[in-house]
Amino acid sequence: MAEGEFFRAASPQEAAGLLAQHGGSARVLAGGTDLMVAVNKRMFKPQVIIYLGDAGMSGISQEGDALLIGAATPLSVIQASPLVADKTPLLAAAIKQMASPAIRNAGTIGGNLANASPAADTATPLLALGASLKLVGAKGEREVPLAEFFTGPGQSVLGADEIIAQVKVPAQPAEAKWAYRKVGKRKAQSLSVVSVAVYCSISGGQVSGAAIALGAVAPTPLLAQDAAGLLQGKTLDEATIAAAAKAAAEATSPIDDARGTAWYRKRASEAVVKQLLTELAG
Amino acid sequence: MSNVIGQRVTRYDGMAHVTGETKFVDDQVVPGTLTVKALRSPVSKGKIKNLDISAAEKMPGVAGVITAADVPCNAFGLIPDQPVLVGEDIRYKGEAIAAVAAVDEDAAMEALEKIGLEIEEQQAVLDPLEAMKDGAPQTRPEGNFQIWDDNNYRQVNLGDVDKAFEQADEIVESVHLHPSVEHAPMEPICSLAVPHAGPKLTIYTVSQALYFHLGMLCGILQMEPGDLHCKQWKAKTGSAWRHNTGYADLNYVGGTVGGGFGGKNDIMADHVAALLALKTGRPCKWRWTRAEDLLYSTFRGAWHITIKDAVTKQGRIIGRQMTSIRDAGSYASLNPYVVEKHCYLGAGPYFIPNVRVRGYCVYTNKPPASSMRGFGITPAAFATEVQMDQIADRLGMDPWEVRMTNAFRKGEFTPTKRILNSVAVIEVLQNLAAKAGVELPGHLKAMASTQERG
Amino acid sequence: MHTLELTVNGQGHKVEVGLKTTLLEVLRDKLHITSPKVGCNTGDCGTCSVLLDGVLVRSCITNALSVQGKSVTTLEGIIEPGDIHPLQKAFHENYGSQCGFCTPGMILASKALLDANPSPTRDEVKEALSGNLCRCTGYVKIIDSVLAAADEMKS
Repeated sequence: MAEGEFFRAASPQEAAGLLAQHGGSARVLAGGTDLMVAVNKRMFKPQVIIYLGDAGMSGISQEGDALLIGAATPLSVIQASPLVADKTPLLAAAIKQMASPAIRNAGTIGGNLANASPAADTATPLLALGASLKLVGAKGEREVPLAEFFTGPGQSVLGADEIIAQVKVPAQPAEAKWAYRKVGKRKAQSLSVVSVAVYCSISGGQVSGAAIALGAVAPTPLLAQDAAGLLQGKTLDEATIAAAAKAAAEATSPIDDARGTAWYRKRASEAVVKQLLTELAG
Repeated sequence: MSNVIGQRVTRYDGMAHVTGETKFVDDQVVPGTLTVKALRSPVSKGKIKNLDISAAEKMPGVAGVITAADVPCNAFGLIPDQPVLVGEDIRYKGEAIAAVAAVDEDAAMEALEKIGLEIEEQQAVLDPLEAMKDGAPQTRPEGNFQIWDDNNYRQVNLGDVDKAFEQADEIVESVHLHPSVEHAPMEPICSLAVPHAGPKLTIYTVSQALYFHLGMLCGILQMEPGDLHCKQWKAKTGSAWRHNTGYADLNYVGGTVGGGFGGKNDIMADHVAALLALKTGRPCKWRWTRAEDLLYSTFRGAWHITIKDAVTKQGRIIGRQMTSIRDAGSYASLNPYVVEKHCYLGAGPYFIPNVRVRGYCVYTNKPPASSMRGFGITPAAFATEVQMDQIADRLGMDPWEVRMTNAFRKGEFTPTKRILNSVAVIEVLQNLAAKAGVELPGHLKAMASTQERG
Repeated sequence: MHTLELTVNGQGHKVEVGLKTTLLEVLRDKLHITSPKVGCNTGDCGTCSVLLDGVLVRSCITNALSVQGKSVTTLEGIIEPGDIHPLQKAFHENYGSQCGFCTPGMILASKALLDANPSPTRDEVKEALSGNLCRCTGYVKIIDSVLAAADEMKS
């Protein structure tokens, strides 16, 4: 019985080259927390696996005002990183609520994004923070803002011979305010029904910059730009918050599924945005 | 024997659990064991028009394929209405039609795909309220109701309910929907059958009901019930006890169950593993996936419960009419017994002198429901306790007072006229109030189960 | 087939595995180490938990070939010569185990916690065990057991 091939890529470039060489039959493996579930459920039979664990893609460093996070960095490493806690606490807070310790020990930030789930829990904080991705392909590399990465459920601009090599996250200014909340069926080991990340710079009592990101309420993780625009130059009073929360909910296009109805998701989106902005105002 | 009440005792199997020495069924290592997989029905109701296993049998790695034709007695259960493998009439989506034993999971799964299956799909009935209507599609040839005596319901009657409603100050009625619940024990359904000389077969089982199932398996396999021998033996670790029971032909090994909660009171895998072991002459293991376990193992069936109470201004319930409908799924399993116990306990821990309970056990094209933690009593308690709060609301009374006013006193009796001589409902409620930080009024604090009802 | 070399409970092994073989299958089917259980095979229940180079992982969704050269610890491997681990003792004495099926994973998840944080709060224990399901105990006795073990290990 043909058993297929298992490659240990030594670099992201080698991994991209192997992808180009083996085409659609190859799958990329990092932590395996999504891939192996699909294998065990017999959703597909892997022919070629390209393993990224030895590709030098794990680690966190600072470059100017940004953090560079290797795509194969386990979520628990990011969660525990003093650098992340200091520079991008919003990301650390969101990761802390993902899955469970054992899954965070294996699952990677790149894998979470590459699967392009509408409920990817690293996507909401990273969208709010204005993160971008370094994609490495067989023919070279490019940088893509995360806001332009997702194109649909399970779909992204990632080419057939490309992998995510690195996530670049602008550091949060010390005075920036942020809040995150995930609504799931239970606290741990739960896919988001709604997740919201809000991020505001406030100077002289007025909002000088804002981002509101929502997960699991649209075909892709979502930046509610109109809602954020309503906050610009305003003080976070009750009326402003209510208007922004309403606009954020209007930007959603949720579905009914086993975890929640579209009706619930839309209302929960509004309620959570309102709750988080009120928290920032207080 | 020393008195152990109030003492902490060491669990006989605790040390084996914490060291990993406990061997559950799936942990038994028998060289050469084949993997079993089943072909399950894709429809909720239908007739099998054609079943062709010839191509599957020829697949590489396949040691044997069985269908209904391989089952010596293809009907089992306390009411033996359930086939091991469907012969002709499919009653639920997921019902097993054929089973394969192969060298590994891949070979077994690939063989399943080679089984030719033609089904004439029929109109299924999935809602018990629909199934009760005249002209509803029939889940079983005997009809959609379980019959008791000449009735399509189980009844419990005490006193004169109609008169109680005439005398009532208030009539409080409520409807309670209890969804189905899966036990979801951490250990999925698993069976390992090992053929050999001597007794023909050893089955390692997850059964919670060894003796029931031993008899049923002998029936299914048509093995001679020789001299029953039953013994307990100490595993070589010196700490884990197991039951090892059997007839002359069948050794049935169990007792180490990875969670049951009533979910392992029906045979789900032992019969198929045994038949394949006998057919192939090799050890066969059938371990259900978590998805199979959640979808097709037994579960607590859903309930639709209506309670109508005749109540006095003082909060005494003097009469109750209760109508409960149980969605039993497609086979009897333990459903009739579940409905009976539900009816017996329909009045809860309260003395109601006039009671009329009707419990319907309704068959639908779903996997068979069965026992779960309390055999029907738990949903009755749920409905009763919600009803107590509704009575309190209606009368503007303290819900503690409504409960304690109606609680059993020593010497009173249940709707089945079981006289209760050891009762402590009032004392339990007093204790509960104290623990919850609720200050009961003096007359409730002074109440006692031994006081005669005024 | 591919050759996998790994260390399990201090002992080196060389086994033949396929592309989709999981670490759990290596442990149970090839090495007959049966304390990690097959509970869900989708990473949801925690009965297959093991320590991989000291880090808690789900062996059921760990690709076997990704653990090449690494060291795996199962419940069998935390028994110190002549004595059980304080966590095992505490789970036994505090009734932290009922049916026993989740117990190996629970104890290993607890060990991963105490290795990193010898004095956890009750909430920290809950968080550390949040991916390990138990249907018998209601978790209270399990958490009691972990806190009792932490106390004993400090003294």
